[in-house]
Amino acid sequence: MFRFIAVVSLLFAKTVFASSTASPLVDIQMSQDFESIKRGAMVYYNTCRLCHGMKYIKYQSLQEIGFNASEIDKLRGDNLVTEAMVSRMSEEVSLEYYGMTPPDLSVMAKARKHGPQYIYTLMTSFTEKNNVYDNSFFPGIKMPDIFDISIATDNAAKAEIEAKVKDVTEFLTWAADPRAAERESLGKYVIAYFVLLSFMFYLVMKRVWSRLDA
Amino acid sequence: MKKVVGWIDQRFPLTSFIKHELTEYPTPRNLSYWWNFGSLAGVVLVIQIITGIFLAMHYKADAAMAFDSVEHIMRDVNYGWLIRFMHSTGATAFFAVIFIHMARTLYYGSYRAPREIMWWTGQLLLLLLMATAFMGYLLPWGQMSYWGAQVITSLFGAVPFLGDELVIWLRGDFTVGDATLTRFFALHYLVPFIIVGAVLIHLVALHQVRSSNPSGINLADKDNIPFHPYFTVKDLFGLSIFLTIYSYFVFYNPNLFIEADNYIPANPMQTPVHIVPEWYFLPFYAILRSVPDLLGGVIAMAISVMIFAAMPYLDRSKIPGGARYRPFYRVMFYLFVLNVLVLGYVGAKPPEGYLVPLGQIATFFYFASFILLPFGSKMEEKWLRQKGLPAEVEALIAGEEVQKADRRRKKDRRHRKETTEDV
Repeated sequence: MFRFIAVVSLLFAKTVFASSTASPLVDIQMSQDFESIKRGAMVYYNTCRLCHGMKYIKYQSLQEIGFNASEIDKLRGDNLVTEAMVSRMSEEVSLEYYGMTPPDLSVMAKARKHGPQYIYTLMTSFTEKNNVYDNSFFPGIKMPDIFDISIATDNAAKAEIEAKVKDVTEFLTWAADPRAAERESLGKYVIAYFVLLSFMFYLVMKRVWSRLDA
Repeated sequence: MKKVVGWIDQRFPLTSFIKHELTEYPTPRNLSYWWNFGSLAGVVLVIQIITGIFLAMHYKADAAMAFDSVEHIMRDVNYGWLIRFMHSTGATAFFAVIFIHMARTLYYGSYRAPREIMWWTGQLLLLLLMATAFMGYLLPWGQMSYWGAQVITSLFGAVPFLGDELVIWLRGDFTVGDATLTRFFALHYLVPFIIVGAVLIHLVALHQVRSSNPSGINLADKDNIPFHPYFTVKDLFGLSIFLTIYSYFVFYNPNLFIEADNYIPANPMQTPVHIVPEWYFLPFYAILRSVPDLLGGVIAMAISVMIFAAMPYLDRSKIPGGARYRPFYRVMFYLFVLNVLVLGYVGAKPPEGYLVPLGQIATFFYFASFILLPFGSKMEEKWLRQKGLPAEVEALIAGEEVQKADRRRKKDRRHRKETTEDV
């Protein structure tokens, strides 16, 4: 029986993890620290939003990551708090310049395998050669190198851009699954409850079954 | 209280039902934890139905709104994320529990007489579960939902003569679209209740033939104990262990069983690079792809699911205890499980390089293990009897003979008594 479980778990582990070994993704972990998410939200607001919308993130949702009412009022301008943060570029313009609508970013961090790492790697992989821009991770991508990381000359400038990318990745990770923090904090109690319940049922079971020995 | 129960008992067999099916229902005392999975499957069914009903209160079965409504459930509905992840993780849990339940039946030979109807109703339940899971997977209306449904419904096109009409009839349109989504939603809501009905039949059959047990024979009365409280508490213990593991996935890894591509809204104009079904369909999907001809592949896949129903006839051995006292069958069982895992791996990967022949070999072995079983089990029994059965098994067989004779004598006596009374 145990041999069987061992064999099964071994094979299962292999099928699940085999795909993740040979990826060129930058192995960066998300802290989901509110300061960083908040900075990332500002990067999104000022830069990404020029082209990308986030149809599931309303202005009022920003409260959840620590923006206060007056800050949100400043960001939303004439928009209602219940309105979503939409792209500033109209569809006609995007179709004219790029031939497509830039994808919505609300769920991007879960719509790709290893989403946060995918976004970070993509954003830091822009290259420039003889004034021709490309992306080594996503060759032929239509998105421009908006943070100018490909032409950053010294390490300090590069590090600054990478920090910015990290922040925006943190924000997108939060946006894709805004209930993750609540979920994980509730999960602790639920699992603790079931562990305790299992233990108690185990004792009851032993007690009940001991009647058979008598 | 007693008065109320008495009032009911005159009109409805409440007390006798509880006695007969619970507090006096004889259950073999030697059942291992592998016998927990039947009741677990029942609990998972209840979880799925309850969470499903709550999801349906906020879900919109409309191609233009389905994806948004699922995100709305997970973001804006109170504890919507919990209900949704319980439901999506529950689908995986359901198949995991059912596969273990089936593996136990296969290992211990529980499908043998007199439990054929249990096994066949179980087979029916598996088919209904697969249909429900397949239709439910379309509802989030993501890329994998859409293209998975597109691929699987197109398989019906392989049916001779009627193929194309059949595909259109199933989809309600020339391609998977709004009509397909709404009908899948309607059926995804309906079929679980048919499953409940089939489970009841499964249970009625169970209470007729009673639980099998690791020894493989019907135990003497002294070795049976009442279901309640012994197995209610054991099932509750197993259930709480299950819920612990289930909660880990719901709270800490809910997206493990959801393809990233399914968070991209369905786009009929853009085929994903690699279309994969859910993990529980992978072995069957690998069989489908391993046969070069489409119609052949569809037939092979259908047989690969249905062939289990033939087990009571394919297994010709009379040695009790399933794999326990049968070395050949035991080895075959483990190889079969391993082979299914290989098929699952092949099904998850694009069909390239060595995976193509590997899938074909595994498909061949899958069917070979069923086809060889009648001969293998007969030869094994002959060999075991020649070698001399272990004393333990001899004792089991002798014990069963004694019981059978005992039961016959009792029946005879009752019969004689009745006939004399008639006179």
